[in-house]
Amino acid sequence: MNRHREQIEYLVGQEHNLQELLQSLEIRGLLHEALSAGVLQVLIMLEDGSAVCSEGTQDSAAAGREIRMPLSLEGERVGHLLVRGREGDAALDAVAGILRSAISIVVHNNLKRMMTAEMHTSLVTSTYDELLAKNLELSASETRYKELAQNLEVKVRERTEELGRAHARLLQQEKLASVGQLAAGVAHEINNPIGFINSNLATLGKYVGRLLEMLDWYQQQTVSADRLTDSAALKAKELKLEMVKGDVWDLLDQSLAGAERVRKIVADLKGVSHVDEVDGATFDLRLEVERTLSVMKAQLPADATVSCDLVDTPPLAGNGALFCQALVNMIQNAVQAVPSGLVLKLGSFRSSEKVRFFVADNGSGVPEELRSRIFDPFFSTRDVGAGTGMGLSVVYDIVKTCGGSISVGDAPGGGALFTIEFPISREGV
Amino acid sequence: MIEYSQSENRMVLKLVYYGPAMSGKTTNLLTLHELLAKDDRGDLMVLDTVDDRTIFFDLLPFFLVAPSGLKIKVKVFTVPGQVKHDATRKAVLQRADGVVFVADSQIKEQVNNTNSFENLEQNLSLVGIDIETVPLVIQFNKRDLPEIIEAGEIDRLWSSSGLPVLFSSAIKGDGVVETFAAITGRLYEHLDEKFGLAALHGLAKDAFVNQLCRIGGL
Repeated sequence: MNRHREQIEYLVGQEHNLQELLQSLEIRGLLHEALSAGVLQVLIMLEDGSAVCSEGTQDSAAAGREIRMPLSLEGERVGHLLVRGREGDAALDAVAGILRSAISIVVHNNLKRMMTAEMHTSLVTSTYDELLAKNLELSASETRYKELAQNLEVKVRERTEELGRAHARLLQQEKLASVGQLAAGVAHEINNPIGFINSNLATLGKYVGRLLEMLDWYQQQTVSADRLTDSAALKAKELKLEMVKGDVWDLLDQSLAGAERVRKIVADLKGVSHVDEVDGATFDLRLEVERTLSVMKAQLPADATVSCDLVDTPPLAGNGALFCQALVNMIQNAVQAVPSGLVLKLGSFRSSEKVRFFVADNGSGVPEELRSRIFDPFFSTRDVGAGTGMGLSVVYDIVKTCGGSISVGDAPGGGALFTIEFPISREGV
Repeated sequence: MIEYSQSENRMVLKLVYYGPAMSGKTTNLLTLHELLAKDDRGDLMVLDTVDDRTIFFDLLPFFLVAPSGLKIKVKVFTVPGQVKHDATRKAVLQRADGVVFVADSQIKEQVNNTNSFENLEQNLSLVGIDIETVPLVIQFNKRDLPEIIEAGEIDRLWSSSGLPVLFSSAIKGDGVVETFAAITGRLYEHLDEKFGLAALHGLAKDAFVNQLCRIGGL
């Protein structure tokens, strides 16, 4: 490449010689025409005597006259033109003069053309070199950008994973918060029955003490039956056994009922948390709704009314615990939307392919323009810090894991209507 | 230097008239061609022009023979001044033995002068010529025009450079031969150091300059 390039590199102003400038083909015709004008021989010679070009023959017998004219290049004498002709040829001088002028013009023009060509070539060469360098630079920069772009992809992937992890972490936290709320409700619920069970057991303890004392008393008596009877009646009256007899069954009944309530609450709690269930199972919609309402009762405001109208549905695909979680979130949402006078309606209906479950409240509803965004993570209409913006996002995710879909609309008579559609799995039918 | 052949006893030198567009570089050459003796110079070759503006270069060769028989050919070039022809300027500047910077004296052209001189500095360094040592003279042309920068001001600005500054009106023929004499004088000094023009070839500075700058027809 380099070697090839050196061949076409010119120095502006480099010297040229007459041979280069007088290509014989170009000039031959001119010289030939001179012969037809009667000239015997035409020669173009260099200063050293060598011929560049010649036409005609040297016929010394015929050639009586010889005309020599200098030829110059850039004004510098480099050779001469030799014209031989017959003695007495009147036109010889004129032909020689014309010939010399013509040759000078050819030399001058060829020199000009060569210099232009050389200049042009060196410009093309240098422009080409610059282009090559530019091209190299551009390739390098392109490579750099390609690398950047590739790195960018990796970066985006990393960030996406990071976001995914953060999202999962938030979901987990949201779950934990719900579990905590559940626990608080449960504690409240258990407190009541346990309170009166405690109190009843203390009273029962006292009563049992009295009965035992009565027994002791009987054993110590050695007196006659009549007196015993009288004394026994007296003692029984002293111990208020009549009252005890009446009260003890009440206490026992109450305590048994309280203990049963505690058992049921714990059972519901277990049901809602599904601690002993595996994933990928199916769930009974009605059972889960009832369980959830049962454990959430304590968290609803005193003036809230809840109605529930559920049809029988086949087992639905999905994790029951997760569904409970979703329902808890939706109910909490309703409670927050309608702090007082909440009317919450839950219900379900089914077609051959789908089960629709709805939760409706009597709040102000969800404005049309927000409906596409309320299921987005971190979207919240509440004050900063008051809500995580994750409640409905969690619901959305859970419904999706169940293979269902959720939408929001207007409830009849105002308020928000959340509708969840569950597909009925073939196996479940 | 374009060429130096000891066997042929021949030396071909290059002088370049540099400067901003329309400062009168070609006019300098035309005037030299007109004024100087025909025996000592060759033909003026004006390569293609567009709207009377040089796009490649102009060339005027001069000849002289030293007493030793050394044939010296001085080829004087102009460059296109327009900014877009920078590649051409660079090509012409290659292996130059001396530079005449033709500046436009008009006040409104001073920015162009500065830009062009900076361009000369840059291109000299690109073609490997040291601006500190290369023979260089400055010509402030168009002194015949109104609204020109004052001579005192020019001297004040250029005195620190140590470069000869000449004033000319190329179109009227004033100062053109003087400029050529200044650059050929500098060129001689430069060559004499390297080739011993005086000692080896018997060519004195005056003889060199006078022969190149001989006014014709006198």
